[in-house]
Amino acid sequence: MLVETAGLTKVFGEVRAVDDLTVKIPDGAIGLVGPNGAGKTTFLRLLLSLLRPTAGTAKVLGRDIEDGLAVRERIGYMPEHDCLIPDMTGVGLVSYMGRVSGLDRDTAMSRSHDVLQFVGVEEERYRKVAEYSTGMKQKVKLAQAMVHDPQLYIFDEPTTGLDPRGRSEMLDLVGTIAKSPGRNVILSSHLLPDVETICKYIVILDGGHQIAAGELSQLLSGATDRLRIDVRGDRDAFARLLKDAGFDADAGPSGLHVSRKPGLEAAVFETAKSLGAEVRYMGKEIRSLEELFLELVARTEKPGA
Amino acid sequence: MSITLPTYSRLEIPLLGRRQRVWAIIATGLRKELRRPAAIVVMALGAAFTTITSIAILFIATIIPSGQAPNLTFFSGPASNFFVLFFVSLMASVIGAGLIADDLQSMAFTLYLSRPITQLDYLLAKAAILAPLVAMVTILPLLLAALVAAFLGFFSWTIALEAMGISIVVGGLLTLFYTAITLFLSSLSRRKGIAGAGVFAVNFGLTIPAEVLTIVIGNRSILYLSPWDNYVAVATAAFGASSTGIDWAVALAILLGVTVLAALVTYVRMKAVEVITG
Repeated sequence: MLVETAGLTKVFGEVRAVDDLTVKIPDGAIGLVGPNGAGKTTFLRLLLSLLRPTAGTAKVLGRDIEDGLAVRERIGYMPEHDCLIPDMTGVGLVSYMGRVSGLDRDTAMSRSHDVLQFVGVEEERYRKVAEYSTGMKQKVKLAQAMVHDPQLYIFDEPTTGLDPRGRSEMLDLVGTIAKSPGRNVILSSHLLPDVETICKYIVILDGGHQIAAGELSQLLSGATDRLRIDVRGDRDAFARLLKDAGFDADAGPSGLHVSRKPGLEAAVFETAKSLGAEVRYMGKEIRSLEELFLELVARTEKPGA
Repeated sequence: MSITLPTYSRLEIPLLGRRQRVWAIIATGLRKELRRPAAIVVMALGAAFTTITSIAILFIATIIPSGQAPNLTFFSGPASNFFVLFFVSLMASVIGAGLIADDLQSMAFTLYLSRPITQLDYLLAKAAILAPLVAMVTILPLLLAALVAAFLGFFSWTIALEAMGISIVVGGLLTLFYTAITLFLSSLSRRKGIAGAGVFAVNFGLTIPAEVLTIVIGNRSILYLSPWDNYVAVATAAFGASSTGIDWAVALAILLGVTVLAALVTYVRMKAVEVITG
């Protein structure tokens, strides 16, 4: 198991930032998503052993987070915000961080050249970090997380501030790491398409609670006894007519969701004909991560809904 | 984007221990300071000026007839050299003020603490960068003055060596005090200018008013407010010279107490610094 928590809780005064979180996250590429204030940052800080939990336990790569140094030896962390030492060169900074992680001087230097080449900053490695563009700084942040070759990478919003090309390059790099054997990735991002591109397993947090966790493909495939129908036309009227015909139908932002029942297909086309609507898709209920996320968050905001 | 993209292979070597990690911060920090023109100028001027004046003070003390043979008490003069106060303030401001403040400003503190080191390791490393540089004006001049005096035959080697031993202790006390205070001030703000000004405020903002008030009011216990006067009282007592008018034991307790308190508060402050934002 990559991460295993039991009743993990962190309370700041009145706020329960992480609340009784019990989760088992398998090895691989993991997406951590949730709205602002969901507890993602606190969860990451707990995993990095930079915060002591108020209650509960957690293990990262089989090691208790109480043993912070052993945990951090195995983690490469790429923070969201700018955090580089501006008056150091790219190669100097990465090798310095390698040494602070425990690499000897020669290994740190050779690794820093290696990882800077990997992220694509080999030409500019002797320039001072202060002179780097946002995209290059992001790459150096990635390089410093890689220099000691950890088992687990924690990426906090790695594509923040990047232009579309930079974003694509960064996702390629993160994807390459995620696919490498023996390496695991936790990607915390607001950009759900990024998470969908990289991750195979996701954990969705809200209000300090886990509201969903599982294989991305399973979570997105939804219930097998329901169909999704995309309609061009009056969806509400379409859903109402299907209900009148005895089918359990809801009109949602992503289309109509209808329970499978004999005669459904005929009823759908009958309704489309009567409304002059166009059926563009009818099939397995597959959602995007964004749709799933919005649905789950809406559900937690309206208990019982 | 590199053409040779996924070429690196998984590293399978054991990581070195905490001591080496802390040493990496110290070595890099010292190297950085020794390449900075402002730091080089202050270090060179400070070490040269305090050493020359300390030797001169000792030399003058030995040639002025005082009716006593050269002994250990003569060394209280160089130890109380006012240039030490000036240059220790300057050095602490120019070198020490940015040690933590710069990391907070650039948020590089996040990088340090995401590594397998603790806040205590970080602080010890920063202290170990500053302390040897401060010692260049607090200990080195006293050692060199004693050495030169012994070479020139003003003092016996026994007295000179004893003076060197005491110089290391009292100079070490001053070094610890200014290291702790400077790091404390540096941890309070993201702007090193504020921390630098704070060092001068602690020194001259306390020393000069305390000495003026002592003259005006005539109560010498006000001198306990001044770190420099506390240090001079301890140094004078250590070299066996006549008292400066304040109790050296109380002065020592104040210096040690403030040093420990500053170090503790800095540690607590660093523990509380937000490591991950967003």
